[in-house]
Amino acid sequence: MWTLAHKLLLHDRLRFSVAIAGVSVSVMLVLVQVGLYFGFMDTASSIIDASTADLWVGKISNESFEFATPLDDRAYYKVASVPGVERAERVLINFAQFKVPDGGDLGVQVVGLETTPGRIPMLEPWNVVTGNALELRELGAIVIDESEYPKLKIDRVGDHTEISGVRAKVVATTAGIRSFTTSPIVFTDLRTARSYQPALGADPLSYVLVDVASGAKIDEVQARINALPHLAAYTRHEMSNRTRSYWSSRTGVGAGFFTTAVLGIIVGFVVVGQILYSGTLQYVREYGTLKAMGARNSAVVGVILAQAMISAGLGFAVGAPLAIGMRAAMKAANLTVALSPALFVVTLVITAAMCAFAALLSIVKVLRLDPASVFKA
Amino acid sequence: MIGALDLFDTLPRIARASQLLARMIGVSKTYGTGETAVKALANATLEIRAGEVTLIEGPSGSGKTTLISVLGLLLKPTSGEVWLEGKNVARLGERELPGLRARNFGFVFQGFNLFPALTALENVEIAIKMKDAHAKNARGEARRLLDVVDLGPRIHHLPADLSGGQKQRVAIARALGGNPPILIGDEPTAALDTKTALSVMELLRELATSAGRAVVVVTHDPRLERFADRVVRVEDGHVDARRTTP
Repeated sequence: MWTLAHKLLLHDRLRFSVAIAGVSVSVMLVLVQVGLYFGFMDTASSIIDASTADLWVGKISNESFEFATPLDDRAYYKVASVPGVERAERVLINFAQFKVPDGGDLGVQVVGLETTPGRIPMLEPWNVVTGNALELRELGAIVIDESEYPKLKIDRVGDHTEISGVRAKVVATTAGIRSFTTSPIVFTDLRTARSYQPALGADPLSYVLVDVASGAKIDEVQARINALPHLAAYTRHEMSNRTRSYWSSRTGVGAGFFTTAVLGIIVGFVVVGQILYSGTLQYVREYGTLKAMGARNSAVVGVILAQAMISAGLGFAVGAPLAIGMRAAMKAANLTVALSPALFVVTLVITAAMCAFAALLSIVKVLRLDPASVFKA
Repeated sequence: MIGALDLFDTLPRIARASQLLARMIGVSKTYGTGETAVKALANATLEIRAGEVTLIEGPSGSGKTTLISVLGLLLKPTSGEVWLEGKNVARLGERELPGLRARNFGFVFQGFNLFPALTALENVEIAIKMKDAHAKNARGEARRLLDVVDLGPRIHHLPADLSGGQKQRVAIARALGGNPPILIGDEPTAALDTKTALSVMELLRELATSAGRAVVVVTHDPRLERFADRVVRVEDGHVDARRTTP
């Protein structure tokens, strides 16, 4: 069956090449588009995912992680006093104006972290490549990401600038931390972050991060916090999903990427379907002969499906490396294509299903093929 | 040509000379219904015996193809009986027919119907495997059958590299796959020159007489009658059989 299938495919190499090209483009589109989507979503929730907090607590009316309605320290103390809370930390997320050395201002997303000497914070800059992130506790200290150097126009530890009129000094740099809003992320201490936002009051904060005490159940502590007025607590996983879902649905990015991926599947479907069908028509008398001589429908259908699976396998074998190449090219443009092993497996299954469905017309043709037709001239 | 030993290897399951292999009794076949109905076969009766070559002649549209299609279990008759393996199989369902055809019939066509992408050996091998997915040593069997039809040296050639006669020999070897007792040829010599046509008929004749197989051939060519034990004349759906050799 496999021998016949691959020989029939290879007999017309041009047609076979077109089929493989169609599947490859389809595979590449699916991988790159879905990978880009997951890359964007990873970016959108990267700060949440990088934290070690069991719970993220914010105002109940918050829709977006980045545009959180400010709370004040009273909320922090209420949360900290909930039974089962081992530790609570404040985080202020807001936007501020970063003075670019060659003139002008740039909007940046400031992440103010609570840094306490002798204690590892539940959220801190990660992927630190130069400098010392522990120096964040110094007033005015900031950490920036090296991918934002072209925008910020500063690129080394020790560089100075101003953020919302407050002097800032780079104490460390990171790699691969970007925001979904495209505004560069600037980490700083909570006190420094508050100094950028005098209009928000004396002690603003966006979120309270909670470390649940050992022995306490996270869902029970979460319920207790949710019982507090105007506050909502989410596990890290829930918070991450909420943020991904917000950006995916509000910006249409999810629909956009998946529409392109589906178009890729349709392209592959049409190309493979057309190639398989024309191949089936070409050999219809030979298939009829086999049926006349007693070959069961399942055997002949098996040959068609084997051709579909060979097309799927080879198309994937070509398309997947193309997608990996595209990932490398896009990385240069600061775009993350998240290609996980699971995505490759799912794409392979989708490709196989696509080719199998594309073979349906051919399968119907051979199933309906009357073996007596081989006697007709 | 084939030797006695080779022929012994191709002996079908039912090989006793003159043994009745298939019988059609009062078979009629009508295409369509009502005013557009066309009666292709009318009350046709035919016996197929081991070791015999039966030629089926008749003008175009006379019902020859319908006759061998019904005999080969490719068409269901409108009425009448088709006896095979000791039972009337005329009304069997589609599930049983492929197995019956695989066990009892090999087909040879005017246009060869060989897969152009496969070598002679592969064309025969794939037919054996398609008939019986559990066939053991299909490749060896295909090689042996190609030896039987005197194509041993060209087993690795594609159909495009074979002459018409050689292609028809591959088709005959393919038809012999699974060792069926009845070979049905639909104008198997029509696309061949006279010399090649006669050699193909000679091969079919030898497969019948020496290997106890029944060979049924539809033809327009009266020169082939000398290879036949019986000639069946079909006209307007009516069958008239006569014996040509004592």
